Amino acid sequence: MTTTTTTTPSPVREPAWPLSRSAIGLWVTESVISSVFLGMGLAAFLIFVPAEPGTPLPVLRWVVPVLYAVYVVLAVGVRPWVRFRVHRWEITDEAVYTLTGWLTRTWTLVPISRIQTVDVTRGVLQQMFGLSTVAVMTASSQGTVQVWHLEADVAQQVADDLAHRAEQVRDQAT
Amino acid sequence: MLVHTVTFRQARQFVPAVIPIVAATGLGGGAWTVAALVVGVTLLSLGTAALGWWRFRYADGPASVVVTRGLLSRSVRTVPNDRIRGVEVETPLLHRLLGLVRVRIDAAAGAVNGKDEELVIDGVPRAEGDRLRAAVLTHRSGPVAEEGAEPAAEEEFARFDNRWLFYAPLVGSYLAVPLAGVGALFRLAQELPARFQPDIDGVQISGVGALLAVLAVALVLLVAGSVIGAAVVNWGFRLTRRGGSLVAARGLVTRRHTELEIDRIRGWTLSEGLGMRWVRAARAGALVTGLGDAARRGQLLPLGPREEARALGIRLVPEPGPLRPHPPAARRRRIVRAVTAGLLVTAAGAVTTPLLGWWWVLVAGLVLLVLGVPLGLGRYAALGHASGEGSFSVRSGWLVREQAVLQDRAVVGWQVRQSPFQRRAGLATVVACVGAGSGGYAAVDMAADEVGAFTAAASDQWARTFSARAE
Repeated sequence: MTTTTTTTPSPVREPAWPLSRSAIGLWVTESVISSVFLGMGLAAFLIFVPAEPGTPLPVLRWVVPVLYAVYVVLAVGVRPWVRFRVHRWEITDEAVYTLTGWLTRTWTLVPISRIQTVDVTRGVLQQMFGLSTVAVMTASSQGTVQVWHLEADVAQQVADDLAHRAEQVRDQAT
Repeated sequence: MLVHTVTFRQARQFVPAVIPIVAATGLGGGAWTVAALVVGVTLLSLGTAALGWWRFRYADGPASVVVTRGLLSRSVRTVPNDRIRGVEVETPLLHRLLGLVRVRIDAAAGAVNGKDEELVIDGVPRAEGDRLRAAVLTHRSGPVAEEGAEPAAEEEFARFDNRWLFYAPLVGSYLAVPLAGVGALFRLAQELPARFQPDIDGVQISGVGALLAVLAVALVLLVAGSVIGAAVVNWGFRLTRRGGSLVAARGLVTRRHTELEIDRIRGWTLSEGLGMRWVRAARAGALVTGLGDAARRGQLLPLGPREEARALGIRLVPEPGPLRPHPPAARRRRIVRAVTAGLLVTAAGAVTTPLLGWWWVLVAGLVLLVLGVPLGLGRYAALGHASGEGSFSVRSGWLVREQAVLQDRAVVGWQVRQSPFQRRAGLATVVACVGAGSGGYAAVDMAADEVGAFTAAASDQWARTFSARAE
């Protein structure tokens, strides 16, 4: 379950550790909530915008619900599991390393010596699933690493460890 | 040591007085109303300016600069000296007549919402401005060896040649100057009362010759405007090294001295717009850590021959060698992306032509399709990356082609991105995250199997995490 089959080898290696399995539940919940809101918006659109013959609206009347159904199946039934298989993280002696994404994958590597701040955040939904996010910030606006959905105690431990080590090896270069 | 600032904001505050004139004439008020309004507004602005001046204090101590201001709600800002990233001394025209300068201190210390990043000390005498600049910069942490020694030797890095002004009509940003001028003129014309407005509607252009003449005059005005605009901004540009910092001075009306610390320079960029590439012109900018408003302040050469700009950059951070082109798959990808819009429009045209008779959609689509090919090829030609001794370089862009050269130590992280399409083509985009300039510089569509070697060569050993397992 850890390796994803691709036609060509990935540009860099995978980080070693998978996320907590509770992340799947969290992603499913998030998708369900956003699907409900999107569905309400679409229903309102279909109810309140009158269909007149000769406009593309009659076509939209059945295209939109079909697209919506496809979206719900993908977002609730497929995406959380794909994400769980893709997302990985690792903390080595020198760096924080993550792989995120669903279709487009993003590998981020930040050396511990360049870490400026380490944050732990817990969203409302995350708290229900006992998860936390560790965000590692550097001097670059684009050089932020976020390790999503770790178990709360692991996240706290990781953040403390990173902050401590960054303190020791920090160089003044930014 | 608290010093009173001399200010002359009063003079500038006369400007708002113009607004009521326009408003009153528009409303049809008498001449007396106008006069009363002008006097009232002027007195009011004089009063607030005087109060602001009276309540403004600044002090530069050995460890920090303190600025106190505000009429009713007092604000005290303290900026520690080692948080100061640069000092800029500005002399607008009116300041120059009165022998005053405006000092901007770029303090990258916790700006509240990003816009208030600098301390502005306006209207101090020139000598005091120079003293303040020197004091703030030398008080900073670090070896203060040359305390009391003679000022450090100056070395000239670059000097603007006035012939380079003729590049200006080919640079988008300078072309925008005369266009903005025309826009402002039209707005002014609309605000004027009807009887003062020139009768444009009555003018009739007849004949091809007259039309051509009008176009030629417009073109000449555009060219002249852009040259004048470039001259006003860049007149007498001079880049010198003074001790540990680079000082750039420029401007015809407003003279501006910007100081950059060489120690904080992490790299440079060379940007060439579409028109500039025709005449081998370019501009060079320094990438400095923690510099606010880097695009303006980091300029090394605002406009000049490409080789000149490049040589200037190489003096600061050496180039890593020739750029390696990206694989053929990257060329295919650029072309596919460039013709996609054309394909969509063509497809739409294929549907609308028989249904609605909109044949022009089909024509537009085909034109876009054909134009997409050279666009894609041009975008591919810009791509390249290189890594060398202590520095690396990436280049991309078509409308404005930008090459960034960065020191290895500038990298604070790597980001590798791969979309499903890139995965199939064996490509990946690598972004070097740096704490300077725009924050990230990308090598777009690099061969996926080169990523590990490039990142390892272009930063310290931690980047080997990408290829080697830690065990």
